[in-house]
Amino acid sequence: MIRVLFVVLSFVSVIFFPWPLAALLALACAFIDPMVPLAVGLFADTLYYTPQVGMLPFFTLYGAAATLVAFFVRSRLRAGSIRK
Amino acid sequence: MRRIFLAKRNALLTSSGVSLGAFALAVAAVFFCLRLLVPNLFWGIFSPVFRNADFIATESHRFFSNFNATGNLVLQNEKLLEENTALASENQTLLQKETMLDALLGTSATEKNTATGILAGIVAHPPESPYDTLVLSEGTHAGIAVGMEVFAKGGVPIGTVSSVTDTFSQVTLFSSPGMTITGWVGRANLPLTITGSGAGTMSASLARSAAVAVGDSVFAPGPGMRMIGSVVRIDSDPSSPSVVLRIMPVFNVFSASWVIVRAMGKGVFSFSQATSTLP
Repeated sequence: MIRVLFVVLSFVSVIFFPWPLAALLALACAFIDPMVPLAVGLFADTLYYTPQVGMLPFFTLYGAAATLVAFFVRSRLRAGSIRK
Repeated sequence: MRRIFLAKRNALLTSSGVSLGAFALAVAAVFFCLRLLVPNLFWGIFSPVFRNADFIATESHRFFSNFNATGNLVLQNEKLLEENTALASENQTLLQKETMLDALLGTSATEKNTATGILAGIVAHPPESPYDTLVLSEGTHAGIAVGMEVFAKGGVPIGTVSSVTDTFSQVTLFSSPGMTITGWVGRANLPLTITGSGAGTMSASLARSAAVAVGDSVFAPGPGMRMIGSVVRIDSDPSSPSVVLRIMPVFNVFSASWVIVRAMGKGVFSFSQATSTLP
């Protein structure tokens, strides 16, 4: 349940809190599930990305990078204490 | 009869097989598709949310900024209190000084005004007013009377009050045709009679033997001797024993805006105004 709360809070923080706090929560949620940073990044770009500006969807890209790093770390530590 | 309930299970998607992150990603993807496919509906849903978020952000910023501004407010309050004390002290000093001066001089404001002169603004000068006259913004209400002398900046006598109403007065300048005053010219202070020539100029007649040159200063009686102009030209006729001095006043009637009107006592200026010779 606490995991679900963290994930929901990270989504809500994208709207109500400054972006550094949202990013911190998404990174923290990466320990719960590696896909959460990508999901939060995609959600942030869904809300704030404007194609007319011509910039890249950085939130999604950074979220994807954090997800990849989290998957890599989990694969390295799978033999350790982290188990499904 | 005993019924056995079996839980329905999706063969493709089991609850244990779907991670929380994948579900979150699916939700984000749904919102993304919603924005791409039906943007109006998407922004219709999220506009109130953004409005509330802005309100919360504004209120929280205001709340926290109060704590930041408290220190500045305390410092500003202390500074204002110090300034207030200093100003109160200065005010008290000035009040005491005014009281002392009143007791020393023993004059009311009106009397002081008369003693130092009445400051009057020029409301019309040539060509708005008749040439060689000025119209002042003060009249009998301010204490101005016919015959009072008018002084320009630097105490230069320029004319006399020729007519006065309740709130206005007219000044005839010494350069007005027919105005005559007595004065002095040159370093030797030779006495002469100065006559207004009109158009802002004056002239005087003097013996040919008098040592007067172009550029000599011309003085008139005021509080002491006051320079009213200078000799700009000397007209001489070989058949005449006298020369005519053309005098240009130092007072520029077009640039002045304020004058002082003072009662100097009758006879200080032995001015007279020419009358028409017509019957």
